[in-house]
Amino acid sequence: MRIDKLLLKNYRQFKDLDISFLKKGENDLHVIIGKNGTGKTNILNSINWCLYGDEPHLSKESQQLPILNLNQISKIEEDEDKEVYAKLHLKTENGSCITVARKAVYRIYEGEKIPVLQKTEFEVCVPDAKGNVDIKKGEDAESFIERLVPKSIREFFFFDGERLDTYFKEATVQNIKHAIFLISQIDLLENKIEKRLKDFLSDLRKEAGKTNPNLESIRNKLEEEEENLRTHNKNEDEYQEQKTIAKKEIREIDEKLRGVPDVDALEVEKLGYKSDKKSAKNIKQEYMAKRTEALFKYGNYIMLWPALKNTIDTINEKREKKELPPPIDIRLLSGSLKEKVCELCGHDVDSKSEAQIKKLIEEIKLSPEDSKFLLDVEPLLHRIKLALSEYESDMKDLSHHIIKYEKELEEIEKKIGKIDKKLSGYKLEKVRSWHENRKIQEGQRDKYLQLIAEEKVRKMGCEEEIKKLKQEWEIGLKKEEKASKLRNDTGFCSKAHEIIKEAKEIIINEAREKIEEETQKLFFDLVWKSKTFKEINILETYDLELIHAMGYECLGSISAAERALLALSFTLALHDVSGFDSPLMIDTPVARVTDENRENLGKIFAKVGETKQIILLFTPNEYSKEISKILDMKSSSRRSCELSAGEIESSIKEL
Amino acid sequence: MAQIQDRIYMDKKDKELYDKLDDESMLKHKGGNRTRKEQFLFAMAVGFEKGVRRELEKRKELFNLKDLKLEDEALINAIAINETKSISIISQKNEVYKIAEEYAHGGIKLLVDEIQSCEFGSFEKLYEKKLKEIIIKLHI
Repeated sequence: MRIDKLLLKNYRQFKDLDISFLKKGENDLHVIIGKNGTGKTNILNSINWCLYGDEPHLSKESQQLPILNLNQISKIEEDEDKEVYAKLHLKTENGSCITVARKAVYRIYEGEKIPVLQKTEFEVCVPDAKGNVDIKKGEDAESFIERLVPKSIREFFFFDGERLDTYFKEATVQNIKHAIFLISQIDLLENKIEKRLKDFLSDLRKEAGKTNPNLESIRNKLEEEEENLRTHNKNEDEYQEQKTIAKKEIREIDEKLRGVPDVDALEVEKLGYKSDKKSAKNIKQEYMAKRTEALFKYGNYIMLWPALKNTIDTINEKREKKELPPPIDIRLLSGSLKEKVCELCGHDVDSKSEAQIKKLIEEIKLSPEDSKFLLDVEPLLHRIKLALSEYESDMKDLSHHIIKYEKELEEIEKKIGKIDKKLSGYKLEKVRSWHENRKIQEGQRDKYLQLIAEEKVRKMGCEEEIKKLKQEWEIGLKKEEKASKLRNDTGFCSKAHEIIKEAKEIIINEAREKIEEETQKLFFDLVWKSKTFKEINILETYDLELIHAMGYECLGSISAAERALLALSFTLALHDVSGFDSPLMIDTPVARVTDENRENLGKIFAKVGETKQIILLFTPNEYSKEISKILDMKSSSRRSCELSAGEIESSIKEL
Repeated sequence: MAQIQDRIYMDKKDKELYDKLDDESMLKHKGGNRTRKEQFLFAMAVGFEKGVRRELEKRKELFNLKDLKLEDEALINAIAINETKSISIISQKNEVYKIAEEYAHGGIKLLVDEIQSCEFGSFEKLYEKKLKEIIIKLHI
């Protein structure tokens, strides 16, 4: 179905409006550009008013004003009637032209300023194959429109562009669940048939209970368990909602944190590096101290080396001459010389002996203490000699360690620098609070997942108990002769109720799967980043998952334009699955999208316009050069909505 | 026979120079100051290496002789043997210590001058470089 024409008379800013939405070639895309306050959104409202008799997109200013054109109110004579009129020419798929007209008659009474509604008329003209026109009025007309485009699902056909931005940002589960329920038209089964059967069954049981106290006891228990089951279902829904809120929070935080480093993790990493730095610095200092110590110790040996070497050589020479250790105690010789008596044999020391002793003393020179000292220091001097031979390799080894730890410190410094660079420019406290909040929300999500699982177990318990009680009920009822008719009736109702419940589940699941499949198909057909995403899942819990090519869920981190496209794909999928082929009318469709992505969305609207009528209402700012270069070429019509000089009436001009 | 001295002496004027050694990081040990004995031996080695031996004008006690270990005695006596070209010098302890004290007196002045002529913290590098030159010169 498409809108061929819209006629308005005395409707708000529009005194007389006649717009034809003619298709041009393959393109069925229509653009209306108007500043805020010119009545652009009231075109969307007028279509709603014509079809359903209400105006869901009224601005606060318009809500204060009567629906009757203000200029007409000023001209109205006392007790004169003025009518507001909206007419839509709709063309169905089979080519027949349906007209939908709504009229409201107003009158201003004497002394009053506000027009009072006198009557409304609603009329739908439906031509048949032979050209005869069936004129439907009142409830018949409303019922016809309800079958053509049900009011309950109009939100998927005529909506504000903000919806595209927020649809998958706020209460996703509720939105999807709501959409699938509406599209499946499940309310008919749920509210009318299922509820009536349930009430009927309850009445029958009450009646049967009156025949036997045992049956009455089973009935009470059964109703108690059914009430418990309802409570658990309600709890589960509540927990699902809480889980969704937590998930939404997580997504929003993820969006804020996109590209922002994990401050806590980096701080922990930095602390680790600081600790590594401290220990590397300590080890380096230990090696430096060892090196200083070695330089000090070896320094003495090196500077004194000529003396040390000379001493070693002298000791060696003495040893070679057998003077070390000395063959005679020099003190005996000195004593004998002093006393003139040999201390060994007791003979007097004559002049010849005296000369010999003097010669011996001259040759020996060393006392036993001095010899002992030399013999004691000799190994020490050799050790020094050996140590000096290892000096260079020892110093090299120590220097090598110092350089190694210097490099390690440099590396650690670089890593710390990188972290500081990553963290610079961010308000760390804020980022930290986001991370903390994310952890809290993760905890909430997990808590509600746990509660959901617990409710599911309780529900299973209830269902088991209900099954058991129903069997007991059947057996008890069979025993009761008087209740044979009731038995048959409750059995029938029970089965019918079960079948309806199952049918409801099947229909919803089928609709969910079809919508999932169609959304994915449309999204991947339209998205400009074809390799970024892998798949779209609508889970049994009505959670929507957009899976990135890398395998992770990324709904929270996509751009506003991608989110708008996803909502548009979902909406178009709903159109397909619902079977209601209605045009798409979007007010301010790209207001929340950046210039760069406006071009992408423009291309998508153009593509949608090849298969479906699409009417877009832009502000001049929104209709930027990025989008105009696409839509100027692809649109079938372009119009501007302008206020008159008195700023009371608006008109539409072709561009 | 003269009594053996029980102290090692410095020139009275050198007290200030020994105190200055306390400020040089290379001459510290585990963050603390070196003992006077260690400073003395180091100054003695510097004096010996440079061949600067100066008689003490006014002696002042530096540390107790008991502080000298066998290795220290070995170094001190080696200088005396080298100086007198006679091994028998080791029996004349006072003379041995006198020679050591005179080299330390010569060395401490050179050492402090050298430290003060260096930029802060660069003495160790200079010292290491000099040790390398000595090693090459002496074919150690």
